[in-house]
Amino acid sequence: MKHLSCEHEIGVIRALHSGEWTSELRLHVEECQDCGQSLRLAEALRQTAAHAQVRCSPPDPHWILQRARRMARAIALRRIALLMAAMRTLAALYVIAVAAWLMRGYAALQYREVAASMHGANSEIGLLGALAAAVCVAAGLFPILRGGSEPG
Amino acid sequence: MEDARTIADWATTGREQTAAGEEGFRQLYEATSRPLWGYLQHASGRADVADDLLQETFCRFLLRKPPAMDEASARSYLFRIATNLLHNRPRSRDDDAREEPAECSVEIDQGVRLDVQAAMRQLKSRERELLYLAYVEGMSHAEIAAATGLGTMSIRILLYRARQKAGEFLEPKRSGS
Repeated sequence: MKHLSCEHEIGVIRALHSGEWTSELRLHVEECQDCGQSLRLAEALRQTAAHAQVRCSPPDPHWILQRARRMARAIALRRIALLMAAMRTLAALYVIAVAAWLMRGYAALQYREVAASMHGANSEIGLLGALAAAVCVAAGLFPILRGGSEPG
Repeated sequence: MEDARTIADWATTGREQTAAGEEGFRQLYEATSRPLWGYLQHASGRADVADDLLQETFCRFLLRKPPAMDEASARSYLFRIATNLLHNRPRSRDDDAREEPAECSVEIDQGVRLDVQAAMRQLKSRERELLYLAYVEGMSHAEIAAATGLGTMSIRILLYRARQKAGEFLEPKRSGS
């Protein structure tokens, strides 16, 4: 396997950071071209970085926290808005489907026969339908009521 | 969905966060904001971009922070976010003109500084990132891999090439000065 860099390079960089040089390492840097180049580059980069960081004036961390909270609220609101839009679409589809079903039913039956056809089996189906509608309404309202009851 | 819950929890309990939690963030911010700014400035070549991305990095960190994270992991995670932001930001014409450092009172070898600036202009953004993380931050190959999302073996090769390339631009000017 071809060696891409000297095995002591990491040790040289660590020594540069910690300032803990051994005599063997110093001797090695003087002899090794790769380590010498790495050391010169690291020193130059560190000096340049130290010079550049003088101009760094990071904002107050409290301001960052406030901004992150605003972002979190905006994300949560966006998601709720998306959920509500999906619920509205589903509700519209539900109304259209029910209307179509009713129109088809009324077209097939005489108006006066509809009341007479409400026997036990149809009542059970009707009850199941009402139950399904109630579950859908409750699922839609839950995130809204939950959001309204919590602080913030 | 886990993300959504984390964000929602964080948003709703934000006001109830303890002072200790805020103090923890403040300490992390104090320890990492300047190195992170230096990294962003070095990789982008622009102080204004570094200012913007520094704020964005910490905001995203606060939004995505997993529950348990020690300082070393948080630091690595911050550099990862910063790297992603650097790569995802829209490029502008100003990016081609890396700004020259302003004069300041720091005592440095002026010849070396100018040579480094010139050499860095010749390198790709990824190469500048790797050199900074390795030589200024003193990160190991594994730490650089975590911060950049690259493989550890790739780091070794890419770092070697970046060093060689920087050396080519740097060495002749040094010997001539």
